[in-house]
Amino acid sequence: MSDSPNEFKLSNMPNDGISSVKFGPNSKQFLLVSSWDDSVRLYDVVADSMRFKYTHSAPVLDCCFYDAVHSFSGGIDKQLKMYDFNSSSDQVVGTHDAPIRCVEYSPDVNLVITGSWDSTVKLWDPRNPSAVGSLSQPDKVYTMSVCGDSLIVGTAMRRVLVWDLRNMGYVQQRRESNLKYQTRCIRSFPNKQGYVLSSIEGRVAVEYLDPNPDIQKKKYAFKCHRIKENGEECIYPVNAIAFHNGYNTFATGGSDGYVNIWDGFNKKRLCQFHRYPTSIASLAFSPDGSVLAIASSFMYETEVEKVPAPDSVFIRNVTDQETKPKS
Amino acid sequence: MGRKKKKQMKPWCWYCNREFDDEKILIQHQKAKHFKCHICYKKLYTGPGLAIHCMQVHKEKIDKVPNSLPGRCNTEIEIYGMEGIPEEDVKAHEKNKSKKAADIANEGDSDDNSNPPPSAAAPMMNGMPGATAQPGMPFAPPGMRPMVPGGPMMGPMGAGVPNPMMPQGGMGTVPGPMMGGMGPMGPMGMAGNMGPVNQQMRPGMGNMGPMNPMNMSRPQGPGASRPLFPAAAQSSTATSTAAGGGRPTFPAAASVVSSNSGAGGGGSATITGAPTIKKPESTSGLTSKLVHPDEDISLEELRANLPKYQRNLMESMIASSGMVNTSMAQGPPMQAGGPPMQAGGPHMQSGGPPMQTGGPMNMGGMGMNMNMGMGMGGPGPNMMPGGMMGGPPRPGMMPGGPMMGNNMMRGPPGNMGGMGMPGHGPRGPPMGGGMGMGMGMRPMNGMPFQGNMNMRGPGPGPRPFN
Repeated sequence: MSDSPNEFKLSNMPNDGISSVKFGPNSKQFLLVSSWDDSVRLYDVVADSMRFKYTHSAPVLDCCFYDAVHSFSGGIDKQLKMYDFNSSSDQVVGTHDAPIRCVEYSPDVNLVITGSWDSTVKLWDPRNPSAVGSLSQPDKVYTMSVCGDSLIVGTAMRRVLVWDLRNMGYVQQRRESNLKYQTRCIRSFPNKQGYVLSSIEGRVAVEYLDPNPDIQKKKYAFKCHRIKENGEECIYPVNAIAFHNGYNTFATGGSDGYVNIWDGFNKKRLCQFHRYPTSIASLAFSPDGSVLAIASSFMYETEVEKVPAPDSVFIRNVTDQETKPKS
Repeated sequence: MGRKKKKQMKPWCWYCNREFDDEKILIQHQKAKHFKCHICYKKLYTGPGLAIHCMQVHKEKIDKVPNSLPGRCNTEIEIYGMEGIPEEDVKAHEKNKSKKAADIANEGDSDDNSNPPPSAAAPMMNGMPGATAQPGMPFAPPGMRPMVPGGPMMGPMGAGVPNPMMPQGGMGTVPGPMMGGMGPMGPMGMAGNMGPVNQQMRPGMGNMGPMNPMNMSRPQGPGASRPLFPAAAQSSTATSTAAGGGRPTFPAAASVVSSNSGAGGGGSATITGAPTIKKPESTSGLTSKLVHPDEDISLEELRANLPKYQRNLMESMIASSGMVNTSMAQGPPMQAGGPPMQAGGPHMQSGGPPMQTGGPMNMGGMGMNMNMGMGMGGPGPNMMPGGMMGGPPRPGMMPGGPMMGNNMMRGPPGNMGGMGMPGHGPRGPPMGGGMGMGMGMRPMNGMPFQGNMNMRGPGPGPRPFN
């Protein structure tokens, strides 16, 4: 896999699978990477160097920035940790009863939100790190996305819940995924109109939050991340979705190793990048949308590969041509 | 006779009354003129097909067939070439033609009216490919016609109900989505109404199990909606029959019900506590393969249960949490052995030894014990690490483990297997292993065994039916 001029591979990669990549707020320089090797690393992607690294006692499944100097992370050890890059110190903020699958920060309500396999979502005040609430979900939380002051939670058994972060007393909307297979990832449109949901069966749904029937009828789903070879169609999980903040277009990454960029409103694919060495585990656009971080990391979808491709993060400078709606 | 032959009707288009020399040209005309989607210009095969296409693909409802004469714009009547035209209209058209002919020929009305129409109509229907093979076609039993095109059948399809449930990328093959769309409707009260109609019209379908809601909704697709076009009539019936068994039509049940009809029968090969993912259906005609483990739990959960991460967790648990004392660890499991003994029956025998070894071991040993359990699984022909792992994160179990979510999760699969699939002889040993394992760990969690078993009770129940 040769690097194209607009793309390079970060050095100093984790020793095991990459679970999540996240860009810092207002920065295309700093990238947070959590890994199955128990570590969370902060990279300077401009200098291609690793700046910080801290560890959990077990694999880390997700991480996020709170502000430029603080990160939160959680994983199999069930602990939510906050790390201060200034003082290079970490502290355990709290715990779940089961591994933490998702960690998100909501700038609108200034809360860090964790979703866990213990079927709860917990809210944390990042200023004096402490728990401020717990929302029970119908099943294990698999994915979560903050959408303004709404929170969209995707759980096992294809359930989708929309919570209002300002009023957590009840679930705003209870939905069932429109896709027939396990929900893999949910990310909301930066314009807050809706969200995109992907499943393990090479399919992506574009959904709208407004319950108005006129709006609802705009929703649709499409197939992707499928490869036909030798008279057989291989259908891959769509593991990652990342939105371009400016254009409301989004990238999807599948276990087929491909990254596609879509214009969800016009139902068009804008581009497809080359095939990456192995499954795309996570994707992140920089806040300005000029850089896409692509984590290519085997995810045990199949029996262990003979020689699994190395876990790697590609930093790709994307152009308007690749990310801007054509019309 | 020769006179009648001369009067044999030319194919004509019901929608615009235009006559054609050849039915092929007529069909081309209909596709281009009446069945073309105004949004994407896709040419569909029938009016209802077009309506469904617009609804499913563009979320738009069309209430009349484009370029049709007033009164001939019904999108619910399924017409393909000369096929499907309501009998009255056939007769009326016939009459018009014959009247003209009669005028020209100066012949008596009575003669023309009584004889030619039926004789002309009959060959027309029989002459069409597949017409006889489609008792479902509305005009076949003339008496039936008035009730057939009525709302109840086509209505729901146009109502958009199927859409939210069956998001289809596009109308790959026309009959597919249509049947799919009808599917979910079946059980919802339609089944009852449709049943009789269906059976009357297509007696062959009777055996498609009116008992089974899943099967039921399928055959009704073709039966109720009528084949979209003659050529597809037989094949669509065939596919629906074949597919009916394995593809759950209810979205809600989809992820719970495992498929056993798929080519590979992948679900049956692994022992698992988690629901199995059903096989994807292929629209392309190629066999499709879902690149995902069979268990319907997330890749992360499966991965977290790999031995290598379990070991990590063990170490961290030892380091971070208070140790459970050994004697406690020993006591409960033996007693707890009671309930599973009944449930698991003979497997307990093989489960015994590991339980004993497992029992005395302390926290540190637990990791080992678990690995042993897996090792023991080995000999069982069907035991795969994947299967073991699959079990853990059953939704019901998660809440149980206050301190060791994962390890705790690991126990259940064994138990599950033992309970859920008592019938499978060869799997006995691995399950026993799993059980032993489960018990070895149990005390660590300090959780009531019994409760856990109960929780699991309902889980494995449905399995054997899959």
